[in-house]
Amino acid sequence: MNQFQMASPTEARDLYSPVMAVISKVEKMTELENLYTVVLPDGAELGHKPGQFIELSIFGVGEAPFSISSSPTHRGEFELGIRRVGMLTEVLNRMEVGQKVGIRGPFGNGIDIEQFKGRDVLIVAGGIGLVPMRSIINYVIDNPDDFGKLHIVYGSRTDEDLLFTEELARWEADPKIDYHVTVDRGSLDWKGKTGVITTLIPGLELDLEKTVCCVCGPPIMYRFALLALKSKGLPERNIFMSLERRMKCGVGKCGHCQINSTYVCQDGPVYHYPDIKSLQEAL
Amino acid sequence: MVQFFLESERVTELVTHLKGQKPVFAPHRKGRKSFAFERVEDAADVVLDYPRVMHSIRKFFLPPRETLMTFDLAENDFSTADVQPSDAIFFGVHSYDLGAVHRLDYNLGKGHPEKNYITRRQGAVFVGVSFEPDAYHFCGSVGIDPMDTSGFDIFLTKLLDGYIVEALTEVGEQLLNGLDLPAHEAGKPARGNFQQHIYLPQAKLNEVMAKSYDNPVWAETAEKCVGCGTCNLVCPTCYCFNVEDTVNIQATGGTRDRHWDGCMLREFTGVAGGEVFREHLADRQRHRVFRKFKYISDETGQPWCVGCGRCTAYCTAGISIVNIVNRLVGDYEKVAVTPI
Amino acid sequence: MAKPRVAIFDFTGCEGCELNQLNFEDQLLDILAHVDIVEWREAMDGHADEYDIAFVEGSLSTPDCIKRIHEVRRKAKVLVALGACAVQGGINGVKNTHPIEEVREEVYGEDKYLFPTLPALAVSSVVKVDYNVRGCPMTQLEFLKVFTALVLGKEPIEPEHSVCVECKLKENECVYARGMICLGPVTRAGCDAHCPTVGQYCTGCRGLVPEPNLKAMEEILVEHGLNVDEAWKRLQLFNANEIEGVRS
Repeated sequence: MNQFQMASPTEARDLYSPVMAVISKVEKMTELENLYTVVLPDGAELGHKPGQFIELSIFGVGEAPFSISSSPTHRGEFELGIRRVGMLTEVLNRMEVGQKVGIRGPFGNGIDIEQFKGRDVLIVAGGIGLVPMRSIINYVIDNPDDFGKLHIVYGSRTDEDLLFTEELARWEADPKIDYHVTVDRGSLDWKGKTGVITTLIPGLELDLEKTVCCVCGPPIMYRFALLALKSKGLPERNIFMSLERRMKCGVGKCGHCQINSTYVCQDGPVYHYPDIKSLQEAL
Repeated sequence: MVQFFLESERVTELVTHLKGQKPVFAPHRKGRKSFAFERVEDAADVVLDYPRVMHSIRKFFLPPRETLMTFDLAENDFSTADVQPSDAIFFGVHSYDLGAVHRLDYNLGKGHPEKNYITRRQGAVFVGVSFEPDAYHFCGSVGIDPMDTSGFDIFLTKLLDGYIVEALTEVGEQLLNGLDLPAHEAGKPARGNFQQHIYLPQAKLNEVMAKSYDNPVWAETAEKCVGCGTCNLVCPTCYCFNVEDTVNIQATGGTRDRHWDGCMLREFTGVAGGEVFREHLADRQRHRVFRKFKYISDETGQPWCVGCGRCTAYCTAGISIVNIVNRLVGDYEKVAVTPI
Repeated sequence: MAKPRVAIFDFTGCEGCELNQLNFEDQLLDILAHVDIVEWREAMDGHADEYDIAFVEGSLSTPDCIKRIHEVRRKAKVLVALGACAVQGGINGVKNTHPIEEVREEVYGEDKYLFPTLPALAVSSVVKVDYNVRGCPMTQLEFLKVFTALVLGKEPIEPEHSVCVECKLKENECVYARGMICLGPVTRAGCDAHCPTVGQYCTGCRGLVPEPNLKAMEEILVEHGLNVDEAWKRLQLFNANEIEGVRS
């Protein structure tokens, strides 16, 4: 019988204790979504990579994973774009600036920036999928010399659900950014495109070999976005996707986020598409 | 290694001798026909001849429920629970259950080594005992022999009228010091036969499992299954958990606790917003079996099932993991030999 | 923060759940400290015009019940069903397995026309129920959980898994190993496996798990050589409304 070596007690770490951090700003983005700015004790840096997540806890309510919405280039604080869905986010919504929440992390596998350097970057974000994608977008914007062209494709249910509207306007106005947005159903005031996000992909002008793409959105979106990207001719090796699953621990123990053999909290949430295309439970 | 002989009547004496040195946990009768590991108060209560306990000794290192921290709502602060090394003797452990502990050592030590588990694992002394395979044991098929002594500090091999006692580590030797036992000269007895077998070794099962994702056995098993999660909760290599906060009635504070969870339960993959990623019992049955014979096995080369037979023995619906795996093997071989 | 105003109502039931509330000897004062009880027939006089939380006990079994529950719902911000009768119809639901005229005849004889009666209904089949405290009588542990959650402005979460999970966490010997029928495998947890822990079997009083596999449950009984008809009767005892038409 093979024995498996156990880590020594000196390597063992207290994995579940959060650091208490202050909510320094709350900005209402839509009826359901807020953007929370969080400051760690002594203004410490979170030290995350774009695409990573943290576990946020409120004592007496619980803990849940949230994508980090700000780029690491944004110093001294970090941002979380959070939809009010479920108990924790309801209670968070009622909290005020100055109150503290528990933070653990950053966790998971974010974007491997080195792989993206020198490339054109295409972001395909559906709905709240823009939250983690924004950390990449702003990283690319803040390091213009490291990257080629930036394409942003964003789809939302309605124009009232659009997130980060001020930034969207800036991205749209920026001649260096190829920005496209669509909504499934527009209000009377909506002057932009109407239709599902995949309708935007055929019209993109991409340098197919040079472009790396990152996709994030609701579970239903991935399959259709992939189809559109592949028929556009984007090589599979250039596609990355950020996935969401239930998580409790964030450190590869509790088992909830497992997709076939992979743990989203360890190997994801950002996956290289060729690594997960054969996983039946992934997409 | 010197082997001693311990008459059956002297087991109590051995337990008492050990109990004088460290706390001893051993199998006790529980209910009508069950057994459970409990702290030994009276050495006479210890049962060495038992088929299996519902929960393996994993429960001492990863308890069914444990408090991770207590919090104070007014202060919005917390203090982490004090976790102590077990520093105890686990007496009368079957080889597959120690095999399971070694697997947990891997899972909970890997990547982010977990303090709570690793701390509790410190100072644990294992005294094994051989067993006669019953209608559910199949550990022989996953490479664990009923008389496998590896990892134990002391091992007792059952004879007709007593036990062969071997000290396998220095710790074991020291614990036996002062106990006057005659040497055992004759060899070890033959081991009992298994009534349950998985047809292929893990190396071949890897190939079988790779082709089994869409096997109809998952849906067929799901028809018989009530989804109660018992198979997960009694599995000695399962370690998934959930974490919940409980607030006291004064609403001044509370505890953040974790408890065992199971991938057979529907809410296991449910996220806020309502999405459930393994919605059907068939999906969950497959995941459970793949956790034991595929996912971690692909990584380590070892089966993550230790053949204790608990998931089958305690399944009220009588779902047999051996039958599922053998069915996959049979279907795989049929396809493999069918000319295309 | 103002204390939530709480009202407690009884419909068709034995009032055991309410009495159970009074039985929180250790916690009653703590509970009362958090709320203002504005209406509770069993413990005080008077009526209130509106309340933050209404706890409702009992099933709905008369036209008057239906009228009253609509009124309660109108005045309550949050409505919590207390106990098996309110949550599933409970034991009263057994009546629904007989033709209603027969039931009236049997119970009231000649005077049956004086007592209009309906099939015993779960509160949720007439008005929206926000949260449940299940069990017969209601599970105290769950009441405290729901109560503290509501007082703290949180949403109580109902377990979806079966009683088997709680038995396993306590390392209880399986009731089937003791040769008894147990409805634990299809019954919703939350009671900390109270009955199996004290040597009894699970009666199913907390209602069925979502999407129960009752066909598999029947197989389990057959495999264990237990009386399937008896098991269905027991299942019907608290869950007549839930299993109506399930067994052909």
